Amino acid sequence: MSDGTAGKNNRDFLKLNADSQLAELFSRRLIFVMGKGGVGKTTISTALAIAAERMGKRVLLAEIGDSDAIGQIFINDTLPEAPLKIADRIWGARVNPKTELALYVRHHINSKFFANRITRSRLFDYLVAAAPGLREIMSLGRIWRWTQEAGSAEPFAYDLIIVDAPATGHALSLLRLPRVLIEMIRFGPIVKEVRELESVLRDPARTWLTLVTLAEELPTNEALQLYQAADADLGMPFKMIFINAVYPRVFTKPELERINDLKSFCRGNDTDASCLKLLEAADHLIRMRRRQQPYIDRIKSKTRGGGVEVPVYYTNHLSIGDIGDIASRMIRQMREQSEP
Amino acid sequence: MLNPIFDPDGPKIIVNCGSGGVGKTTLSAAMGLAGALAGKKTIVLTIDPAMRLADALGLSEFHADVQRVPLDKISSAAESSVGELYAMMLEPKRTFDELVTRYATPEISRKILNNRYYQHISNNMAGSNEYMAMEKLYETYHEGVYDLIVLDTPPTRRALDFLEAPQRLLNVLGHSFFWKLIKPYLKAGRWSLRMLNVMASPILRVVGQVIGRQALNDLIGFFQVWDEALYQGFNRRAEAVKALLGSDETLFFAIATPQRFPLQEAEFFWERLKANRMPFGGFIINRVHASIHDVPAPPIDQTAAQICPGAPVDSQLIEKILLNYRYIQRQAESDAASIRGLESRVAGLAGVKTIAAVEEEIIDLAGLLDLVGYLKE
Repeated sequence: MSDGTAGKNNRDFLKLNADSQLAELFSRRLIFVMGKGGVGKTTISTALAIAAERMGKRVLLAEIGDSDAIGQIFINDTLPEAPLKIADRIWGARVNPKTELALYVRHHINSKFFANRITRSRLFDYLVAAAPGLREIMSLGRIWRWTQEAGSAEPFAYDLIIVDAPATGHALSLLRLPRVLIEMIRFGPIVKEVRELESVLRDPARTWLTLVTLAEELPTNEALQLYQAADADLGMPFKMIFINAVYPRVFTKPELERINDLKSFCRGNDTDASCLKLLEAADHLIRMRRRQQPYIDRIKSKTRGGGVEVPVYYTNHLSIGDIGDIASRMIRQMREQSEP
Repeated sequence: MLNPIFDPDGPKIIVNCGSGGVGKTTLSAAMGLAGALAGKKTIVLTIDPAMRLADALGLSEFHADVQRVPLDKISSAAESSVGELYAMMLEPKRTFDELVTRYATPEISRKILNNRYYQHISNNMAGSNEYMAMEKLYETYHEGVYDLIVLDTPPTRRALDFLEAPQRLLNVLGHSFFWKLIKPYLKAGRWSLRMLNVMASPILRVVGQVIGRQALNDLIGFFQVWDEALYQGFNRRAEAVKALLGSDETLFFAIATPQRFPLQEAEFFWERLKANRMPFGGFIINRVHASIHDVPAPPIDQTAAQICPGAPVDSQLIEKILLNYRYIQRQAESDAASIRGLESRVAGLAGVKTIAAVEEEIIDLAGLLDLVGYLKE
């Protein structure tokens, strides 16, 4: 894809208000949520699933490999490999690359006996560990097959699949993987499938890549690098960037001045100490926001769609209710941001 | 808990582990600075550091050669004698290449370095970063130049990766079973990759179908040379590194934040260390939101007028201030609960040190010195 079309699409996209931005996002078949470890991909993936559900979509929320964060949130346990209903219109599943590879081998070996012998052999474990990109491509393959099922009547008929992408390694290498594999393997049945997979990943009508970051130095640097490289080198632009855990701008300018006045008043009048304590909390919020602001500005100026600010949530153990609340606040934030 | 850093007879190696985004690199730099301030010749080995940290240390950038951190501003003010502080950035691919060159003849090294499968594992196979971090640590330790080495481990999702990934990589590289399987099908002649009689082995035929003949040839070509020239050297080296990490020359710290996932990872990590009888220094819980200390919190149901009587302020603003206060208090309570939970689970077995969340980013040595102060407290 050339820069031209991507640029135009994004400019058009900017004109849309928050609700149509989300409607656009949720009209895809597949949404990848990517980013560095520890930035809150699972929270954003789950918040997006809940937001989509509220807009009437049937959502499959998938996590990859040994991650079990989504399972912990919804069912207090690891998600099964077959999609499980975890909310009204949300299903959850964990993609296990080994299972996928076993399926693949069975599919390509005519003898059942032989296929079983292979997938149970130690060589097989070895191969999964040693072969370059095999785990990742098998996981992508599973997701691709789900997209084939998506929109069909049965058995699950998802409108939308949201993938909480693994943080291991660089997200860019995951996106490059289909190309690398095609060049490495060159021919055979797997190449055919990888090509189809790549065409889904590259098709903005079906797939959107989204990126999560924090308003801190390293996550911002890495996110912007990834953003630029995905667009320029791979032609697979990120469509939305979520800036997670942003301290909101609660106070207006005149209010900031009033807070300062209040502080002098409290100090001068020997008021109850808890009054000052309240003001310190307000100061804390203001300083935290100030610390984040340069990174927020950088993300907004260097990305075409701007960043979606996701407000910080003041707890270490997010429940489904909390994430539903984050979804509402995220949408509210998008509405405020899209107002002129 | 952190005394070993300052103790002249303390361990020579500090390894900081933890899941991504908990502030390992900054804490490692602060520990290094603390060691130097205690008079030790100290080096911090780090991967992927922030520019801001390089700035804070007075370095224009980090690179893979040893750099001295200028401490003259601090030394003139310090009472006791200040040691020296050095920093070095880890470059796993370069370290891997150097190892290959060390153990193999030039001809074989060239073959390995050009092999596509080698390029893959040395660049981005899970475990190679961790393995090479250990390797560099071992090398630096044996140079015998430093009193203290602080290793900031590579960013991974899981804290455990640092311990497990190198072994996984070695398992892959050193699997004799793989050889038993392939050797009968190799025809005479070294490096004659296309002589591999894949068709004679049904299993290899399947492997070839799955990953492609080309990739299989690269893989087998690599393992053939690896097995002949490098396996023993690498394995001996790995054993030595393992012994060093388990000795009393080393101390591991688990770094986390009060959030669920990083904390859980730190605990898994500690349990693994315990199971392997490896030396553990304690938990450092970073970015803890302190409740706004010293004065009792205003009861949540009090109104603005009761809390700030007589203050000239409109009620809407006070409502905002109150709401914000409750949020911030909620975070502080959530953090405190997380830490209480950890402390009760590890009571008597491991120390827990908390570091308060700071509002300002560390932009210079003075900021890093504040952090050293927290570590000493």
